[in-house]
Formats: sequence, structure tokens, C-alpha cells
Amino acid sequence: MRARKIGLVLIASIIAVIFLIPLIWMLSTAFKNDFEALSGQMNLFPIKPTVNNFVQGIQGEFMNVPIMRWIANSLLVGVAGTIIVLFIDSMAAYGLARLNDLPLRRVMLPIFIASLMIPSVLTFLPMYMEFNALGLLNTYPALILPATAGAFGVFLLYQFFVSFPKEIEEAARIDGANKWHIYARILLPSATSIMVTLAIFTFMGIYNDFVWPLYATSSPEMRTITAGIAIMATGSYTQSYGKLMAMTTIAALPVIIIFIVGQRSFVKAITQSAVK
Amino acid sequence: MMKSSVGSRFTSFLFVIPYLIAFSVFLLFPILYGVYLSLHNFELLSVDHDFVGLANYIDIFTPGTYTNSVFFRGLWATFQFVIYSVPLLIFTGLGMAMLVNALPRKIRGLFRTVYFMPYALSASVMAVIWLMMFDTNAGFLNSLLQKMGIAGIPWLTATPWAWIALIITTLWWTIGFNMIIFVNALNEVPEDYYEAASIDGANQWRKFIHITLPTIKPVMLFVMITSTIASFNVYAQPFLLTRGGPGDSTKVLLMNVLDQAFARKQIGSASAMAIMMALLIIIVSLVQMKLTMAKKGDK
Repeated sequence: MRARKIGLVLIASIIAVIFLIPLIWMLSTAFKNDFEALSGQMNLFPIKPTVNNFVQGIQGEFMNVPIMRWIANSLLVGVAGTIIVLFIDSMAAYGLARLNDLPLRRVMLPIFIASLMIPSVLTFLPMYMEFNALGLLNTYPALILPATAGAFGVFLLYQFFVSFPKEIEEAARIDGANKWHIYARILLPSATSIMVTLAIFTFMGIYNDFVWPLYATSSPEMRTITAGIAIMATGSYTQSYGKLMAMTTIAALPVIIIFIVGQRSFVKAITQSAVK
Repeated sequence: MMKSSVGSRFTSFLFVIPYLIAFSVFLLFPILYGVYLSLHNFELLSVDHDFVGLANYIDIFTPGTYTNSVFFRGLWATFQFVIYSVPLLIFTGLGMAMLVNALPRKIRGLFRTVYFMPYALSASVMAVIWLMMFDTNAGFLNSLLQKMGIAGIPWLTATPWAWIALIITTLWWTIGFNMIIFVNALNEVPEDYYEAASIDGANQWRKFIHITLPTIKPVMLFVMITSTIASFNVYAQPFLLTRGGPGDSTKVLLMNVLDQAFARKQIGSASAMAIMMALLIIIVSLVQMKLTMAKKGDK
């Protein structure tokens, strides 16, 4: 039995190393100069470690790309989109779950749920044409607003609000609390952990999306970091691995930190969506 | 409910209005507008947009037309990707979940985190990392092969290697998601089922076939549906890694749809292609859901 356990740990460790190699190699290459990065020597630790790739990347000297601006754009649209989603989804979920006199309630809920099945390819081109007609391509609203239409958060919070004990709400109402008070002071605080989950999910979704920002932006200063890196990857710079890896390291850092810190919530959101 | 005056109903409606606006403007309207676009000869930079009825759709299904050839060649590439990737995504995910669950409790979390971490990366970060791994001359994999005295492999520029490379990156990037779902499902299998089976003298394999698999079947179907949909939507991996090559053997449908729209500027025709693709995905997921329901009914 003991030998079997050790064997399993060994297998799991080998797989773990395989999973980590690309990330470790990214880090290692980011500290190599171009010559060493292209030499095909497999030095885990660079012979002449250099931070030039990072310095040049951050200062925008490399390829003339404003990488810090891209990161700032991504953080900005990620945070703005997340805040909007948290507000409008929680309000809608409260209305749908708790307000019996909400008009069209029985019509809206199934439509919202059904919309979860719609593949994004269906809305991609018309959304592009819509933003084009509004003159909003290549602006922050184009990067933020499309992410606010998804029903995932409404659905997630609806499930929580609908099972919230009625007695607490009734008691508050007798004390004179109106719908806004009940929403803001009772239901919202009780849903903190689900809100955190939704926030992580939404932020990572917006931060990591690359197809929409790739087409919805056109000027270098409006790119998000994912779109910017995609352009560099398909451009003519792919041989400067040291510098590319420094950039991907910088780009990956925020999500990896959020992932490690918020892993529990993230896992919970995934399993909750699977239970249904 | 208490009083339900017009004022109260209006207040209730105020809660839903912000999301309803977002939903209408960025989901509902685009769908309808997409149908409108698909019925017109809509060129991106031209001002005339003639109504052409179903011509864009008919084109897709008329052998010999350009749209017919790009649509179906793209669909074939997408199909290949679905067929290669989905079984691996399901069974590798399940295998890794079982492995993680068999580990001593203390180190489970660590391994789960490591396997799941790549999922947090964006498509472009993932792709750039793997461009370096697969590089023919200086890439990690070929350098490793050369150290072992094996000739380098043209990972991204020859078949079947291009497909293999796309599947490896897809597994690395997304398998953690399926694994997490399976870990959760495995934990919900009642422990006494296994104990009862042990008393009856069942070995590990029989326990797996007769207890684990039937119990986690609904979750397996869920994973099958989500993996199939995700694989049908594949874009980032071939777009960034193989760029559809060699030739256009890995040029998947979504790449052709976006090319039709942005490279050839035929928004109308591209919208028709997008709608056909979406319908296909919806039909496949509905069929799989029906299967799930039927299976649940059996129990």
C-alpha cells in the first residue's frame, strides 16, 4: 500500500513537472539575452542573466510597444467591467428571485437562462458593426460593455437569492425597510462570497479575452495586453524570445496572482456551474 | 406579497432594467442584427447594402462557390479538432482527477493548483509560450530531442505534427477545468458504495466500472457537452500557433468566418456563415443535452 502511494506521488510529480516546464521555461528565457535564447542550449539558469528584457519592455523601448499602457488598459477594462457586472447582475438577480410583483418575471428568467447557450460567434460580427455604427470602436466602452450582457452572474446569484430565508426579509420589511434597503443591506452582504467568485470569474474573462479586443481596437495605445501580445506573436518579432517571454511574464502575473489567491472561489464557481 | 401598486411594480422593474438594457443592446440586438446582415450584400467599406434574401445561405450550400469551399473546409478542420480533442479532454481530465484524489490528502491541493494553473492564462500568453516550446530550431522540445539524438520535429509546419501540437497545447491549457469538475464529482460518490464492493471482493477496476462510472455519468455528460462546445469554438490555438497551416489544414471554421468578414470584407456572407456555425453548435449541444436527460430518466 505504501509503495503504491509513493508510486502515485511519483507519477503525479512527473506530470506536475511537465505542466510546469512551459512556465518555468518562460521565466528562464525572460532572463536570457537574444543570443542565448536562440542558441538551443537548454540552460535552466541563464549563463549571463539579464533584466534588460524587462527594463526595455516596461520602458516601451522594445518594438515600440507601450506594454505598461496595455496592462493598464486591461486592468482598467477588467475592473470597470467587473464592477458593472456585479451591480447589474445582483440587482437583476434580486428582482427575479425576490420581487413577486416584477412584471414579465416569468418571461425574462427562461430567456436569460436560454441565452447562456448562445455561442459568441453569433454576436461577434453584428456587435462589431454595432460599435462601428455608434463610432465606439477603439474606445474603452467597446472593451467593457460587451462583457456585461452575459447571464452567468444573474443565474449564479439568482440561485443563491432564491434560497435565501424569507423570514429575515419579512422581519426587515416589518421594520420598515424598502426593497432597496433589503437588497443593499441584507441580501448583498449575505452574498459576499458569491460576489467574490463572480468578480474573479468576470475579471479573468475580460482580462484574458483576446479575439474581441483584437478586432475592436485598432490603435496601439488602445490595445489590451492579450490583444497586444497576440499581435506581436503573429508579427515579425517572434524570434526575440527573451523579450517576448519577459512580456508574457508581465502579462501573466496579474492573473496568476489572482488565480492563486482566489483559487477557492474560482473552483467553487466552476463546480457550481457544473452542478446545474 | 404586500401591496402591489403600479409604483411598487415600477420599483421592482427598476432592479432589472440595467441588466435588461445590457442584455438587449449587447446580446439580443446583435443576434437580430446578425440575421439582418446575413440577408444583405453587406460589404464592410461600401455604402450600398442590397437585400439579397437567402443568397448568402444558398452560396454556402452551393458546391463550387468560394463560400462553400471555405465554409466546409473550415468545418472539416474544426471537426477534426473536435474529434481529436474531446475524448482526450474527457479521459485525461478524469484520469488526472482520479490521480489527484488518490494522493495523500496533504498534497492534493498543491497538485490540483499546478495542473489547473495554465487555465488562468490568456490565449495569447499560452500561445506565445508554446510558440517558443515548439520552435523548430531553438524550441525547448526540439532542443531536448536533439540532446537525445533525435532529429527535430517540424511541430507547427507539417501534419500530423500541427494537429498534435494543437492538441498538446489545448490539453495543457484547459485540462485543469475538466479535472476540477471530475474531482468534485468523484468526491460525491458515497464512500459506503466502495466499502460494500470491497466486502464483496471487487477489485479496483471493477469498482471503477460498476460504481464510479455510473455515479459520475451526469458529470461526464456535462464535461462532454462543455468540451465539445469549446472545441467547436476553437480559434486561438490555430490562429496563433499554426496560423491555419500547413496549407490550410488547421484553418478552422471560425478563422474562415473572421477572414470572410475582415480580410475579404464580406460582412453579409460572413454573418450567414457565423449563423450556420452557431446553429450547428446549438444543435450539437441540444442533442447532447437530450442524451443527458434521457440517461437521467433511465436511472
